[in-house]
Amino acid sequence: MDQTALNLQKQILALISRGVAQATTEAEFDQSARDVFAFQYERCAVYRAYCDRRKQTPQSVAHWKEIPAAPTSAFKDFVLTCFPVEQAVAEFHTSGTTREQAGKHFLATLELYHAAISLNFKAHLLPDFARLPMMVLTPSPEEAPYSSLSHMMGAVMEEFGADDSAYYVEDGQLHLEKLVRDLCEAQWAHQPVFLLGTAFAFVHLFDHCVKEKLEFEMAEGSRAMETGGFKGRSRELSKADLYVLFERLLGIPTTGIVNEYGMTELSTQFYDATLRVGKRTDWKAVPPWARALVIDPNTGREAADNERGLIRILDVANLWSMMCVQTEDLGIAQQNDSGVVEFEVLGRAAGAEVRGCSLNAENIVVE
Amino acid sequence: MSATVETIREAVSRTREARERVQQHRTTDAVIAVLAQAAKNWLAPNSPWRKQAAEYAPRHTGFSEAMVQEIIDLTFGAINYESLGELLDRELGNRRVLDEFCLRGRVQSRAIPPRLLVHFLAGNVPMPGIVSICCGLLLRTANLVKVSPRDPVFPSLFIESVREVDAELADCAASTDWSRGDLALTQAALEDADGVIAYGDDHTISALRQLAGQQVRFLGYGHKLSFGVVAKEAMTEENLPHLAQAAAFDASVYDQLGCLSPHVYYVEERGQLGPRKFAAALADAMAAYQARIPHGQLSVEEAAQVTKFRTGYEFRAASDKRFVVWNSPESNDWTVIYDDSPSFIPSCLNRTIFVKPTDGYKRVLDAIQKIASNVSTVGVAPMHERAVGFAGDLARMGVHRVCAIGQMQRPSLSWHHDGRPNLADLVSWTDLG
Repeated sequence: MDQTALNLQKQILALISRGVAQATTEAEFDQSARDVFAFQYERCAVYRAYCDRRKQTPQSVAHWKEIPAAPTSAFKDFVLTCFPVEQAVAEFHTSGTTREQAGKHFLATLELYHAAISLNFKAHLLPDFARLPMMVLTPSPEEAPYSSLSHMMGAVMEEFGADDSAYYVEDGQLHLEKLVRDLCEAQWAHQPVFLLGTAFAFVHLFDHCVKEKLEFEMAEGSRAMETGGFKGRSRELSKADLYVLFERLLGIPTTGIVNEYGMTELSTQFYDATLRVGKRTDWKAVPPWARALVIDPNTGREAADNERGLIRILDVANLWSMMCVQTEDLGIAQQNDSGVVEFEVLGRAAGAEVRGCSLNAENIVVE
Repeated sequence: MSATVETIREAVSRTREARERVQQHRTTDAVIAVLAQAAKNWLAPNSPWRKQAAEYAPRHTGFSEAMVQEIIDLTFGAINYESLGELLDRELGNRRVLDEFCLRGRVQSRAIPPRLLVHFLAGNVPMPGIVSICCGLLLRTANLVKVSPRDPVFPSLFIESVREVDAELADCAASTDWSRGDLALTQAALEDADGVIAYGDDHTISALRQLAGQQVRFLGYGHKLSFGVVAKEAMTEENLPHLAQAAAFDASVYDQLGCLSPHVYYVEERGQLGPRKFAAALADAMAAYQARIPHGQLSVEEAAQVTKFRTGYEFRAASDKRFVVWNSPESNDWTVIYDDSPSFIPSCLNRTIFVKPTDGYKRVLDAIQKIASNVSTVGVAPMHERAVGFAGDLARMGVHRVCAIGQMQRPSLSWHHDGRPNLADLVSWTDLG
C-alpha cells in the first residue's frame, strides 16, 4: 500500500478511535469526507467516470452532501475498490437471490473495519461493560467467510464475548435444541445472556418455543441484537410483534433489544440507542465518522426533516471501497437534541403499489 | 361514501328495475346512439365532463392534468356510433340479434344477455372500465360497477354523462366502491350476478373467479406487458423523427403504467441508422412529450424505484460502453436506457424505456420466449410483409395483438382484449326453428 493511502487510513483511524461520544463538527467531517472523496475519485476509475458524468468532482464539490453516491447495485456490476483488488485481505458478498449476482465489498486492510465495528458496538450494546455469553444465531466466520455479518459476529465475540459464547447456525441449520438447552442452563444459573441474530432466525426460535410450549425468563441484564429483514426465509413479523415475543418468550424487555442496520457494502453499522439511553427508540444513531442523508427520490435532493426518502450513507471507514453509498432503503431523518442527524429505517424501496395494469420490474420474474 | 351490503343490494335492485324498462323501450341501435352521444359530449374542449375529470382525476390517478386531457381524447375518441356498432356486428354477427330473432345461417337466433353484470375495475387506466360499462349497456343488462380506488372518477362521471343523454339507460348502471378485501360486500355484489368482468392481478382474478362460481360467465383480464420492434427498413434519416415521436407517445401515455405500454423497443441492426440513433431520437421525443404532457406526481415508493433503476444504469453507463442513458434533468420524468444485451428486461415503468439492438425478428422471438404468455401488445415499424410473418410467429407464442408503433395505445373498440371477444362470451343464445 502506498504512503498516501496509509496516511489517509491513519487519519481516519484517529477519527474513529475518538469513540462514539464525541461528535465531529461539520467542518471536521467535511474535511475528512472530501479527503476520502478526492482519494476515491483518483483511485477508482469506475467511480471517477460516474462523478465525471454527473459533473461532481473534487474540484467542483464544495460540501460533503454533494459527493456522488455509488448505488448498491454498482457493487454487483463492478469491482469498486481504491486498491488493486488482488491485494484484498477480505471480501464480503451480499446474499441476494440465486438468479441475482451478488454485490461484493473488498477490503485492503481490516484496521478501519474493525475499529468501526468495535467502538460502535461497545457503545450501543455494552454501555454497561458487561461480559456476557454471546449466543449468536448466525454461522461462524469460518463457516461463512464471505458474510459481513458473520465476520462482525466473530469480531465482537472475540473482543467482548464470555468464554462460553457460541454460534448456533451450522451447515445452514439453526440448532434449536442446543440453543434451547443453553438458554435453560443460563436461566437456571441466573446468567444474563446476549442473543445476536437476524430477525428471521429469531422468528424460527420463537415458532419453536411456541410449538414446544417453552417460555424463558432470562436473567436481568440479558439483551438481544436483531438485524436484517426476512427475505422470505421465515414468516414475516412486524418489529413490534417480534419484540412482544422477545418479552413473552425470553423475558427480554423491549428496552433490552437493539436493532442493527448494517450492509455488506459498508464498514460501519448503525444501532438504535435503546440500551445506551435506557429507553426504547427506533432512531439509528450515526457515529461521528459517518453521516446519513435522506434523499427525496422525486428531486434527488435532501428531504426535509421527517420526510420519507432513500437513505444515503457516508462512511469514511469505507476508505478502500466507496465512502458514499446510496441504499435502496426508505427512511426518515431528523436532528436530535444535540444537533446530530439520526435516521429511522422504514423498509425496502421495492413493492410499491401497482397503479396501472402493467406488470413491472418488481412483479414479473424473468428467467 | 363506502358501500354496505344494503347499499349494494339496493343498487342491484335499482339497476334491475331500470333494465326491465330499458329492455322494453330501447333498441340496441338506440343505445348505441346514446353512448356515442355521451362519448361525444366529453370531447368538446369546454365539455363539463372534461372539466370535472381534469379537476378530480389527477389526485386519484396520479396523472397530470394534461395527461387526463390526453386520456379523455384517447378514450372517448374511440367510442362513436361506428365503432360501437362494429363491435356488436363483429362479435355477434349482427347487432339486431339483441332485439329479435335473426337468421344466422339456416337458423334464427337471438342473443340473451346476462341479467346482472358485475364489473370489478382496477388501476388508473380508465379506458378498459369505460369500455366495460359500454358493453354492459349495449347488452341492456343491469350493471354494478365496483370502481378502482385508483380511478373512482371516470366510471362515475361517464355514467352521469350517459344520464344526461338518457336517464333511464344510465339507471342500468350503478358505480360504487368497497375494499376487495371485504368479502361480505364482494359476496353481496355477486349474489345475483350471472356475468362478471374483472380486472386486476392474477391473484385477484382467480380469487374473484372462485367467488363468482361455476355458473357465472366470467371475463378476467390480468396484468400484461408490451414491447415494440423496429425493423431496419424503418431506420432511415427521413423516417426517424416521426417514428421516434410515435414510439415516445406509446411509451409515455398513461405514464407507461398501462398494459399496452412498451417496456422495450428492439431495434434491428444494419439499417441506414443504428439502434443507438433510435435511442437518442427517442430521448428527444420523450423530452418533447414531457414538455407538452408532464409526468404525474410519483409516490415516494414509486420515485424510489425509478431512482434505483435509473441510477444503477447511469453508474454502468459511465464506464461501460454497452450502456447509454438519457434522462430528464433533475427529476424522474423520463429515462431512455440503451442496453447492448438482447435479453428482455422488464422496466420499472413511469416512462423508463429500454432500447436494445437485435439481429432480427427471429432473435426477438428468442428473447421474449419466457415472457410470451404475459405479453399483450407488440408494436412494429414498419407494418410490412416481413412484420406480418413475425406477427404470425408471435400469435403462435400466445401474443394477442400486433400493431404499428404509435397505435399501441389505440386499440380498436372491437379488439380481442387478452385474445377473447368482449361481449360474445357474455351472451347465451336462443334458437328458433
